[in-house]
Amino acid sequence: MKYVLMLALFFAGYATAEDAAVREQVMTAKEAVLELNRDLYELERELLSPATTRAAFHITLNHGEYFEPLAVELSVDGQLELQHLYTERQVKALRMGAVQPLGDLNLAPGKHDISVTIRGVDHQGQGRELAITETVSKTGKPLIVELLIVDREELQSARLQLKYW
Amino acid sequence: MVLTLLGCSLSAVADEEVANVQTSLKPGDLVPDFTMPATNGFGQRLQEARGSYLMLIWLGNCDECSERLVRYQLLAESLEIEGLKGWFVWTPKGKRQPPNMRLPVLKYEEQWRQSWTFSDRPAVMLINADGRLDHLLTGDLRDNYQETEQVVMRWMSKGRDYQRPE
Repeated sequence: MKYVLMLALFFAGYATAEDAAVREQVMTAKEAVLELNRDLYELERELLSPATTRAAFHITLNHGEYFEPLAVELSVDGQLELQHLYTERQVKALRMGAVQPLGDLNLAPGKHDISVTIRGVDHQGQGRELAITETVSKTGKPLIVELLIVDREELQSARLQLKYW
Repeated sequence: MVLTLLGCSLSAVADEEVANVQTSLKPGDLVPDFTMPATNGFGQRLQEARGSYLMLIWLGNCDECSERLVRYQLLAESLEIEGLKGWFVWTPKGKRQPPNMRLPVLKYEEQWRQSWTFSDRPAVMLINADGRLDHLLTGDLRDNYQETEQVVMRWMSKGRDYQRPE
Protein backbone atom coordinates (compact mmCIF):
# COMPACT_ATOMS: atom_id res chain seq x y z
CA MET A 1 0.00 0.00 0.00
CA LYS A 2 2.84 2.36 0.92
CA TYR A 3 4.51 1.77 -2.47
CA VAL A 4 1.30 2.43 -4.36
CA LEU A 5 0.92 5.76 -2.57
CA MET A 6 4.51 6.77 -3.33
CA LEU A 7 4.03 5.84 -6.99
CA ALA A 8 0.86 7.92 -7.18
CA LEU A 9 2.64 10.93 -5.63
CA PHE A 10 5.54 10.51 -8.06
CA PHE A 11 3.23 10.53 -11.10
CA ALA A 12 1.23 13.44 -9.69
CA GLY A 13 4.44 15.48 -9.32
CA TYR A 14 5.51 14.51 -12.83
CA ALA A 15 2.15 15.55 -14.28
CA THR A 16 2.33 18.95 -12.49
CA ALA A 17 5.82 19.57 -13.86
CA GLU A 18 4.64 18.64 -17.35
CA ASP A 19 1.63 21.01 -17.01
CA ALA A 20 3.95 23.85 -16.02
CA ALA A 21 6.13 23.22 -19.05
CA VAL A 22 3.11 23.26 -21.35
CA ARG A 23 1.82 26.45 -19.74
CA GLU A 24 5.18 28.07 -20.28
CA GLN A 25 5.17 27.04 -23.92
CA VAL A 26 1.68 28.48 -24.35
CA MET A 27 2.78 31.75 -22.75
CA THR A 28 5.80 31.93 -25.05
CA ALA A 29 3.61 31.28 -28.07
CA LYS A 30 1.16 33.99 -26.95
CA GLU A 31 3.97 36.50 -26.52
CA ALA A 32 5.31 35.61 -29.96
CA VAL A 33 1.86 36.17 -31.48
CA LEU A 34 1.51 39.53 -29.74
CA GLU A 35 4.92 40.59 -30.94
CA LEU A 36 4.12 39.52 -34.47
CA ASN A 37 0.86 41.42 -34.31
CA ARG A 38 2.70 44.56 -33.19
CA ASP A 39 5.21 44.17 -36.01
CA LEU A 40 2.41 43.74 -38.53
CA TYR A 41 0.65 46.84 -37.20
CA GLU A 42 3.82 48.89 -37.48
CA LEU A 43 4.45 47.52 -40.96
CA GLU A 44 0.91 48.42 -41.98
CA ARG A 45 1.36 51.96 -40.65
CA GLU A 46 4.65 52.26 -42.50
CA LEU A 47 3.05 51.12 -45.73
CA LEU A 48 -0.08 53.23 -45.42
CA SER A 49 1.62 56.31 -44.13
CA PRO A 50 5.37 56.20 -44.64
CA ALA A 51 7.48 58.91 -43.03
CA THR A 52 8.18 60.52 -46.38
CA THR A 53 4.50 61.34 -46.91
CA ARG A 54 3.13 61.35 -43.39
CA ALA A 55 1.51 64.56 -42.17
CA ALA A 56 -0.30 64.64 -38.84
CA PHE A 57 -2.48 67.47 -37.57
CA HIS A 58 -3.41 68.16 -33.97
CA ILE A 59 -5.46 70.88 -32.29
CA THR A 60 -4.96 72.54 -28.94
CA LEU A 61 -6.77 75.33 -27.17
CA ASN A 62 -4.74 77.66 -25.00
CA HIS A 63 -7.11 78.88 -22.23
CA GLY A 64 -10.07 79.28 -24.56
CA GLU A 65 -11.53 82.21 -22.68
CA TYR A 66 -12.19 84.27 -25.80
CA PHE A 67 -13.01 81.53 -28.28
CA GLU A 68 -14.90 78.26 -28.24
CA PRO A 69 -14.50 76.13 -31.36
CA LEU A 70 -17.59 74.60 -32.94
CA ALA A 71 -16.17 73.24 -36.18
CA VAL A 72 -12.86 72.97 -37.97
CA GLU A 73 -12.04 72.44 -41.63
CA LEU A 74 -8.57 71.85 -43.03
CA SER A 75 -7.73 72.06 -46.71
CA VAL A 76 -4.52 71.20 -48.46
CA ASP A 77 -3.89 72.81 -51.85
CA GLY A 78 -7.54 73.84 -52.03
CA GLN A 79 -8.87 70.37 -51.32
CA LEU A 80 -10.91 69.81 -48.15
CA GLU A 81 -9.15 67.01 -46.32
CA LEU A 82 -10.14 67.05 -42.65
CA GLN A 83 -13.13 68.32 -40.75
CA HIS A 84 -14.51 67.96 -37.27
CA LEU A 85 -17.51 69.16 -35.29
CA TYR A 86 -17.12 69.83 -31.59
CA THR A 87 -19.42 68.92 -28.75
CA GLU A 88 -19.40 70.70 -25.42
CA ARG A 89 -17.62 67.79 -23.78
CA GLN A 90 -14.85 67.88 -26.35
CA VAL A 91 -14.33 71.62 -25.91
CA LYS A 92 -14.12 71.10 -22.16
CA ALA A 93 -11.43 68.48 -22.74
CA LEU A 94 -9.50 70.87 -24.99
CA ARG A 95 -9.74 73.57 -22.33
CA MET A 96 -8.27 71.14 -19.82
CA GLY A 97 -5.22 70.75 -22.02
CA ALA A 98 -6.14 67.89 -24.31
CA VAL A 99 -4.46 67.57 -27.66
CA GLN A 100 -6.87 66.42 -30.32
CA PRO A 101 -5.47 64.32 -33.14
CA LEU A 102 -7.43 65.81 -36.04
CA GLY A 103 -6.13 63.33 -38.55
CA ASP A 104 -3.26 62.01 -40.66
CA LEU A 105 -2.72 62.79 -44.33
CA ASN A 106 -0.36 61.61 -46.99
CA LEU A 107 1.48 64.55 -48.50
CA ALA A 108 4.15 64.26 -51.14
CA PRO A 109 7.44 66.03 -50.42
CA GLY A 110 7.35 69.60 -51.68
CA LYS A 111 5.41 72.78 -51.01
CA HIS A 112 1.77 72.70 -49.94
CA ASP A 113 -0.75 75.37 -49.04
CA ILE A 114 -2.49 74.50 -45.81
CA SER A 115 -5.68 76.40 -45.00
CA VAL A 116 -7.48 76.02 -41.72
CA THR A 117 -10.81 77.57 -40.78
CA ILE A 118 -12.18 77.21 -37.29
CA ARG A 119 -15.71 78.41 -36.66
CA GLY A 120 -16.85 79.10 -33.15
CA VAL A 121 -18.15 81.71 -30.77
CA ASP A 122 -16.37 84.40 -28.79
CA HIS A 123 -16.77 85.14 -25.09
CA GLN A 124 -19.90 87.19 -25.83
CA GLY A 125 -21.55 84.36 -27.71
CA GLN A 126 -21.05 86.01 -31.10
CA GLY A 127 -20.10 83.85 -34.08
CA ARG A 128 -16.44 84.11 -35.02
CA GLU A 129 -14.14 82.52 -37.52
CA LEU A 130 -10.41 81.98 -37.18
CA ALA A 131 -8.57 81.29 -40.40
CA ILE A 132 -5.00 80.82 -41.46
CA THR A 133 -3.23 79.85 -44.67
CA GLU A 134 0.42 78.91 -44.75
CA THR A 135 2.73 77.32 -47.26
CA VAL A 136 4.69 74.46 -45.79
CA SER A 137 7.58 72.52 -47.20
CA LYS A 138 7.17 68.80 -46.74
CA THR A 139 10.50 67.06 -46.51
CA GLY A 140 11.28 63.37 -46.27
CA LYS A 141 10.54 63.50 -42.55
CA PRO A 142 7.03 63.27 -41.07
CA LEU A 143 5.26 66.61 -40.84
CA ILE A 144 3.54 67.16 -37.51
CA VAL A 145 1.50 70.31 -37.22
CA GLU A 146 -0.27 71.69 -34.19
CA LEU A 147 -3.20 74.03 -34.82
CA LEU A 148 -2.98 76.26 -31.82
CA ILE A 149 -5.84 78.51 -30.71
CA VAL A 150 -4.33 81.17 -28.50
CA ASP A 151 -6.09 83.84 -26.45
CA ARG A 152 -4.96 87.42 -26.95
CA GLU A 153 -5.69 89.06 -23.62
CA GLU A 154 -4.94 92.60 -24.80
CA LEU A 155 -7.48 92.38 -27.63
CA GLN A 156 -9.90 90.10 -25.80
CA SER A 157 -9.92 87.79 -28.78
CA ALA A 158 -8.14 84.70 -30.04
CA ARG A 159 -5.94 83.82 -32.96
CA LEU A 160 -5.00 80.67 -34.73
CA GLN A 161 -1.41 79.73 -35.40
CA LEU A 162 0.37 76.72 -36.80
CA LYS A 163 3.19 75.17 -34.84
CA TYR A 164 5.53 72.64 -36.41
CA TRP A 165 6.88 69.92 -34.16
CA MET B 1 4.83 68.00 -25.27
CA VAL B 2 2.74 65.37 -23.66
CA LEU B 3 -0.06 64.23 -25.87
CA THR B 4 -3.34 63.81 -24.12
CA LEU B 5 -5.23 61.63 -26.46
CA LEU B 6 -8.93 61.79 -26.10
CA GLY B 7 -9.68 58.37 -27.40
CA CYS B 8 -12.78 57.86 -29.42
CA SER B 9 -14.57 61.04 -28.44
CA LEU B 10 -12.10 63.34 -30.13
CA SER B 11 -10.23 61.27 -32.63
CA ALA B 12 -10.77 59.36 -35.76
CA VAL B 13 -12.77 61.56 -38.02
CA ALA B 14 -12.59 58.85 -40.61
CA ASP B 15 -14.27 56.16 -38.57
CA GLU B 16 -17.28 58.41 -38.08
CA GLU B 17 -18.05 58.37 -41.75
CA VAL B 18 -21.35 56.70 -42.43
CA ALA B 19 -23.82 56.64 -45.27
CA ASN B 20 -25.50 60.03 -45.51
CA VAL B 21 -29.08 58.80 -45.70
CA GLN B 22 -30.51 56.11 -43.47
CA THR B 23 -33.48 54.40 -45.03
CA SER B 24 -33.82 51.12 -43.24
CA LEU B 25 -33.52 51.82 -39.53
CA LYS B 26 -36.03 49.82 -37.55
CA PRO B 27 -36.68 49.13 -33.86
CA GLY B 28 -33.94 46.96 -32.43
CA ASP B 29 -31.23 48.42 -34.67
CA LEU B 30 -28.18 50.12 -33.29
CA VAL B 31 -28.44 53.73 -34.40
CA PRO B 32 -25.30 54.78 -36.27
CA ASP B 33 -23.25 57.47 -34.59
CA PHE B 34 -23.36 61.05 -35.86
CA THR B 35 -22.10 64.48 -34.96
CA MET B 36 -24.09 67.50 -36.11
CA PRO B 37 -23.72 71.21 -35.51
CA ALA B 38 -26.53 72.92 -33.64
CA THR B 39 -28.24 76.17 -34.54
CA ASN B 40 -28.38 77.09 -30.86
CA GLY B 41 -25.11 76.08 -29.26
CA PHE B 42 -22.64 73.25 -29.30
CA GLY B 43 -22.86 70.40 -31.73
CA GLN B 44 -24.03 67.04 -30.44
CA ARG B 45 -22.66 63.58 -30.91
CA LEU B 46 -24.98 60.62 -30.58
CA GLN B 47 -22.38 58.49 -28.85
CA GLU B 48 -22.12 61.05 -26.06
CA ALA B 49 -25.81 60.53 -25.29
CA ARG B 50 -25.22 56.85 -24.46
CA GLY B 51 -26.47 56.14 -20.98
CA SER B 52 -29.46 58.44 -21.41
CA TYR B 53 -32.77 57.97 -23.15
CA LEU B 54 -32.92 60.08 -26.27
CA MET B 55 -35.94 61.41 -28.14
CA LEU B 56 -34.61 62.35 -31.56
CA ILE B 57 -37.11 64.35 -33.56
CA TRP B 58 -36.45 64.59 -37.28
CA LEU B 59 -38.24 67.61 -38.67
CA GLY B 60 -39.78 67.61 -42.12
CA ASN B 61 -40.57 70.89 -43.82
CA CYS B 62 -39.88 73.32 -41.08
CA ASP B 63 -39.63 77.07 -41.39
CA GLU B 64 -39.52 78.58 -37.91
CA CYS B 65 -41.89 75.81 -36.87
CA SER B 66 -41.35 76.35 -33.15
CA GLU B 67 -45.07 76.26 -32.37
CA ARG B 68 -45.36 72.76 -33.76
CA LEU B 69 -42.58 71.57 -31.49
CA VAL B 70 -43.39 73.21 -28.19
CA ARG B 71 -45.24 70.20 -26.80
CA TYR B 72 -42.36 67.88 -27.68
CA GLN B 73 -39.98 70.25 -25.95
CA LEU B 74 -42.13 70.33 -22.81
CA LEU B 75 -42.39 66.55 -22.85
CA ALA B 76 -38.60 66.16 -23.04
CA GLU B 77 -38.01 68.79 -20.38
CA SER B 78 -40.54 67.26 -18.00
CA LEU B 79 -38.74 63.91 -18.23
CA GLU B 80 -35.23 65.31 -18.19
CA ILE B 81 -34.87 64.48 -14.51
CA GLU B 82 -35.50 60.82 -15.36
CA GLY B 83 -32.71 60.85 -17.91
CA LEU B 84 -34.47 61.80 -21.14
CA LYS B 85 -32.74 64.06 -23.62
CA GLY B 86 -34.55 65.68 -26.53
CA TRP B 87 -32.91 66.80 -29.77
CA PHE B 88 -34.47 68.19 -32.93
CA VAL B 89 -32.85 67.66 -36.29
CA TRP B 90 -33.58 70.36 -38.83
CA THR B 91 -32.60 70.32 -42.49
CA PRO B 92 -32.06 73.73 -44.10
CA LYS B 93 -33.71 74.37 -47.42
CA GLY B 94 -33.90 77.64 -49.34
CA LYS B 95 -34.67 80.54 -47.05
CA ARG B 96 -36.20 78.44 -44.32
CA GLN B 97 -35.24 79.39 -40.81
CA PRO B 98 -34.63 76.93 -37.97
CA PRO B 99 -37.04 76.73 -35.05
CA ASN B 100 -36.12 78.70 -31.98
CA MET B 101 -36.06 76.17 -29.16
CA ARG B 102 -34.44 75.65 -25.78
CA LEU B 103 -33.46 72.08 -26.66
CA PRO B 104 -30.63 71.52 -29.14
CA VAL B 105 -31.69 72.02 -32.75
CA LEU B 106 -29.19 70.08 -34.82
CA LYS B 107 -28.62 71.11 -38.39
CA TYR B 108 -28.14 68.40 -40.97
CA GLU B 109 -25.79 69.46 -43.74
CA GLU B 110 -24.37 67.08 -46.27
CA GLN B 111 -20.94 68.70 -46.07
CA TRP B 112 -20.32 67.15 -42.66
CA ARG B 113 -19.13 63.64 -43.35
CA GLN B 114 -19.85 62.46 -39.83
CA SER B 115 -23.57 63.21 -40.03
CA TRP B 116 -26.50 61.48 -41.68
CA THR B 117 -30.18 62.09 -42.18
CA PHE B 118 -33.24 59.89 -41.94
CA SER B 119 -35.20 59.47 -45.14
CA ASP B 120 -38.67 59.12 -43.63
CA ARG B 121 -39.12 62.56 -42.07
CA PRO B 122 -40.86 63.79 -39.98
CA ALA B 123 -40.17 61.08 -37.47
CA VAL B 124 -39.58 60.54 -33.78
CA MET B 125 -36.91 58.06 -32.73
CA LEU B 126 -36.74 56.80 -29.17
CA ILE B 127 -33.22 55.59 -28.58
CA ASN B 128 -32.37 53.70 -25.42
CA ALA B 129 -29.33 54.03 -23.20
CA ASP B 130 -27.47 51.40 -25.24
CA GLY B 131 -27.90 53.41 -28.41
CA ARG B 132 -30.53 51.07 -29.83
CA LEU B 133 -33.71 52.25 -31.51
CA ASP B 134 -36.64 51.20 -29.33
CA HIS B 135 -39.49 53.02 -31.07
CA LEU B 136 -39.93 54.76 -34.39
CA LEU B 137 -42.94 56.95 -35.05
CA THR B 138 -43.23 58.45 -38.49
CA GLY B 139 -45.72 60.95 -39.83
CA ASP B 140 -46.91 64.44 -39.05
CA LEU B 141 -45.61 65.61 -35.69
CA ARG B 142 -48.86 67.35 -34.72
CA ASP B 143 -50.95 64.27 -35.49
CA ASN B 144 -48.53 61.97 -33.74
CA TYR B 145 -48.06 63.91 -30.53
CA GLN B 146 -50.59 62.04 -28.38
CA GLU B 147 -49.25 58.68 -29.46
CA THR B 148 -45.66 59.82 -28.94
CA GLU B 149 -46.45 61.04 -25.45
CA GLN B 150 -48.08 57.72 -24.51
CA VAL B 151 -45.23 55.70 -25.96
CA VAL B 152 -42.61 57.84 -24.24
CA MET B 153 -44.39 57.58 -20.88
CA ARG B 154 -44.66 53.82 -21.19
CA TRP B 155 -41.10 53.55 -22.43
CA MET B 156 -39.67 55.62 -19.60
CA SER B 157 -41.67 53.79 -16.94
CA LYS B 158 -40.72 50.36 -18.17
CA GLY B 159 -37.12 51.22 -18.80
CA ARG B 160 -35.79 49.35 -21.71
CA ASP B 161 -38.82 47.56 -23.09
CA TYR B 162 -37.22 46.21 -26.19
CA GLN B 163 -35.65 42.82 -25.86
CA ARG B 164 -32.98 42.04 -28.40
CA PRO B 165 -33.83 38.97 -30.44
CA GLU B 166 -31.51 36.05 -29.88
